[in-house]
Amino acid sequence: MLVCGIDVGAGNVSAVILQDGDVISYCVVTSGEEGATISRKVVDEALRKTPFGFDDVQYLVATGCGRSSVPFAHRQSTEVVCQAKGALYLLPSVKTVINLGTESSRVIRIGENGKVEAFTKNDKCAAGSGLFLETMSTILEIPVELMGNLSLESNGYEEVSSICAVFAESEVISHIHRGVSRDHILVGLHKAVADRILEILGVANVKSDIMATGGVAKNMAIVKELEQRVGLEITVPPEPQIVGALGAALLGQDKVS
Amino acid sequence: MLEQFRQYHLARHQNARVWKEQSGSQVLGTLCCCVPEEIIHAAGILPVRIMGEHEETTEADIHFPTNLCPYCKSCFDQALKERYDYLDGLVIPNVCNMIKAMYGFSKLLLKTPYIRFLEVPQRLSDQGVDYFTKELRRFKESLEDFVGKPILDEALHHSIDVYNESRTLLEKVSELRKKSPPVVSGSEVQEIVLSSMLMPKEEHNRLLAGLLDHIEERDDPPEAGVRLFVSASILDDTDLFALIEECGGMVVADDMPMGSRYFFGQVDSNSEPLRALADRYLNKIACPRKMLPEERLNFATDRMLDADVKGTIIHNMRACDSHLYEYPLLRQQLESQGLPVLFFRGEETETEKEQQRADIEAFIEMLED
Amino acid sequence: MVQSTSARKSLRTTLEVPTLRKSYYAQTLDDSKKGKKVAWCSNNIPSEILDAMDITSVFLENYATVIASKRLASGFCAAGETVGFSQDVCGYARMLMGYVLARDKVPEPPYGGLAEPDFLLVNSYSCDSRLGWFAAMSRTLNVPLHVHDAPYQPEGPSHSAADAEYIERELRSLVAFLEEQTGTKFEPDKLRARRAISRQTSDIMYEISQLRKAVPSPMGSADMFTAVWPSMYLAGTSECEEFYNRLLAELKERIDGQIGIVPEEKFRIMWSGIPFWYDMRLINYVEDFGGIVALESFYRTRERRLPPQDDDPIKDMALSSVRQRAFPSTIIASIDDILEAVKEYSIDGVILSYNPSCRMLYVSQTELQKALEDQGIPTLGLECDMADERTYSEGQVKTRLDAFVERLLAKA
Repeated sequence: MLVCGIDVGAGNVSAVILQDGDVISYCVVTSGEEGATISRKVVDEALRKTPFGFDDVQYLVATGCGRSSVPFAHRQSTEVVCQAKGALYLLPSVKTVINLGTESSRVIRIGENGKVEAFTKNDKCAAGSGLFLETMSTILEIPVELMGNLSLESNGYEEVSSICAVFAESEVISHIHRGVSRDHILVGLHKAVADRILEILGVANVKSDIMATGGVAKNMAIVKELEQRVGLEITVPPEPQIVGALGAALLGQDKVS
Repeated sequence: MLEQFRQYHLARHQNARVWKEQSGSQVLGTLCCCVPEEIIHAAGILPVRIMGEHEETTEADIHFPTNLCPYCKSCFDQALKERYDYLDGLVIPNVCNMIKAMYGFSKLLLKTPYIRFLEVPQRLSDQGVDYFTKELRRFKESLEDFVGKPILDEALHHSIDVYNESRTLLEKVSELRKKSPPVVSGSEVQEIVLSSMLMPKEEHNRLLAGLLDHIEERDDPPEAGVRLFVSASILDDTDLFALIEECGGMVVADDMPMGSRYFFGQVDSNSEPLRALADRYLNKIACPRKMLPEERLNFATDRMLDADVKGTIIHNMRACDSHLYEYPLLRQQLESQGLPVLFFRGEETETEKEQQRADIEAFIEMLED
Repeated sequence: MVQSTSARKSLRTTLEVPTLRKSYYAQTLDDSKKGKKVAWCSNNIPSEILDAMDITSVFLENYATVIASKRLASGFCAAGETVGFSQDVCGYARMLMGYVLARDKVPEPPYGGLAEPDFLLVNSYSCDSRLGWFAAMSRTLNVPLHVHDAPYQPEGPSHSAADAEYIERELRSLVAFLEEQTGTKFEPDKLRARRAISRQTSDIMYEISQLRKAVPSPMGSADMFTAVWPSMYLAGTSECEEFYNRLLAELKERIDGQIGIVPEEKFRIMWSGIPFWYDMRLINYVEDFGGIVALESFYRTRERRLPPQDDDPIKDMALSSVRQRAFPSTIIASIDDILEAVKEYSIDGVILSYNPSCRMLYVSQTELQKALEDQGIPTLGLECDMADERTYSEGQVKTRLDAFVERLLAKA
């Protein structure tokens, strides 16, 4: 049985192909094209690494904020349910999913019965989102994918105290002008981003095990900072960006069987 | 018939103007559900509740900073845009920071002839009822001066009866939301409730009684949805309820100042009228500005449990302090009883709807899973 | 990165305050250890009554400003945010909710922390935040709460018998609550003595307010924001009265000697709203340019026509309370008040702080600023939280202050 999950997010589109319950292929691309076109491309790309073609896919579930733009999906499902399903598959004991996306971050709490109990989202504040990190990457002239490691190797830090993305930006620029080393600024920046995530996390209620998903979860400096502040270990799957698509595929499998 | 209520709400400004012209009497705007409208009604004046619009504020931005209760700001914006130019007066009670502030701002910036501040005790106590009774007497006297004729006790008794009937009818129709399969939808009830704050009460009672006679036989009942409860600081239209229905949910009970708090609890028609009014408007309205958490949370939770809902949506207007402090407590109390919660921070903008839709869809999928 | 955030003071009497404050907090901890009942209070809870009943009062807003002035607010606020109190919530309340509910998440609290409360007292009339905040604490700490109410009186002083009677009964309810909590009987004599001192102190403070009109300014806000402390937290004590007597004497001395705060006073500024406690040095910033923040909107004691002292001290409190209003209640009164202050205190420009989380004050600032500019009085609006330094951008604020100073110097 072949099913496919596709996650049309604000920053990336990803697809996961599941054969009889096993992930046999996946693909992640940066969004940019119109939803229907790009989602078909991602599915085809994922299938290219398998002996199957598009017509072999029995069931396809779309998730993500652009899920309604996938004309060939048999079903749509929300990010909350798909993120939870994907995370549970990867880590059956997971109780908290921290999904760190391009435009918003989201915390999903999972009950003992494996069902979602609650979720909170931050989409009003830019600080803390993937987009914010990309802006900072441009200002600091450090590629996004290097930010985490550079920060972890730093031997000091410069505080970025501002709460607001706009203020933080001007604060970082003023640090640069004062000649503060970039890795120190990065550490401060990551602490500030962690602050914003913690706000929606409701630390008092966080239960282990915790998994971080989404593009920002690749930044280990943020994950480490969160771990330290929460006082609990956080698991990051090898491909944090495909968790939503994986959940969608799993949902498709449930539907078929 | 349901459509009549919606149409009245939509054309409320025009309707108030027509009423004024036909009756030759005055129209008075009120803010908050703690203003005893019976006294205004007894003076022959039409009380209407002030509502904002989901529309960009422009005029109010000149006078107010940005980070304030969007509802109050929107109301004031509407007033400055002269949408409320038919009002002869405004009654502004002592409730929250913003509404209190509106008193001075109205006197400074609006041309409304009669602007009255109504002292409302902010704590439940015997002396509070005594004091509020005296304040209502002062209010009654000031209305008498305003209209130039006395408000007779018979008139007051009659108004109390009319309002008690209205509250009974509203309670009845809101109970029908809970039926399974549903007889009337959450947004339909909300239209009825909102229009009751705008329409002459006798007229509204007549329409609603007529509707209740036939509603169970209607041939277009609403579709059933996931049963939800809404607790809100203020919602002055039915958009959120309609959105919830679009996403497959159904609001079957609520806890809102422009909802069940408006019609919960009767005025004792056998007591001295002003004291009976003071008692109902102080003690029966479960507002977090007056009631302490213990009582408030139990009131909300009991209503929720009674309605047999699967989840609760809490909607707080941004910067509404009283509800902001209550939210973490309410959330904890509900979740500890196994009732999931979805929270919104209200903005009164058009753009917030899409974000709300995404969250409601996820919430409903989560509840159905 | 340790830097001093407190304002540079010019008066020797003001310098007594930090010691007074420190020993006050030490005393509260000591009282608690000795088994005295401790009440956590909001501002405007009459401490004279508590004092007369041998109850230790701890004023949380004051403690919040202490935390903020040590630049610890962000840690406390973040802790409050994690337990569900959003950034829309008053900075003071957010910090203290963090302290109460997430004590393991907050930095080392100043003065060794607060004495644990036996009960909570809040006034319901000054803002929604205080009531919500104290109610939330009462529920989460499982400690009794008493709410003290009063009419709002938007038109200012009231002569209504109903208003006075309501406050009187509210005060008696407060006393009954305290008797119940402590098991001790209220003795009117003890309160009467404290009332007499409070009245005298109030007269001295009125005189101080009058003297601050002098040019050059004998005492600016850099001093007053600190010097006001005893009147708020040691009310009705001889320690408090003596402090203001010394302050008054020093002011007279400075006026006689024509001693100003800056060598040559070129312009005078008024600060409207709550200052930024995490950077009180900002108040001194204009002094380098010959300017002085000569007055603040809060701590001016307006003329008071108090009725003669009533023999019943509770009644006396009630009557004084309805006849005086520390704050103007409506925007109309606020505009009159600020324009009057500008005139009487020879103010050349006004800085208005916009503290979004303090809705009650924040709501008026735009219209006040407009009214001042309409009268040709230069203004500067600064939007930052009063406690949470994460909302503050020092560079931006100073750049705007520079421009403001230039505007004032050009006029001078």
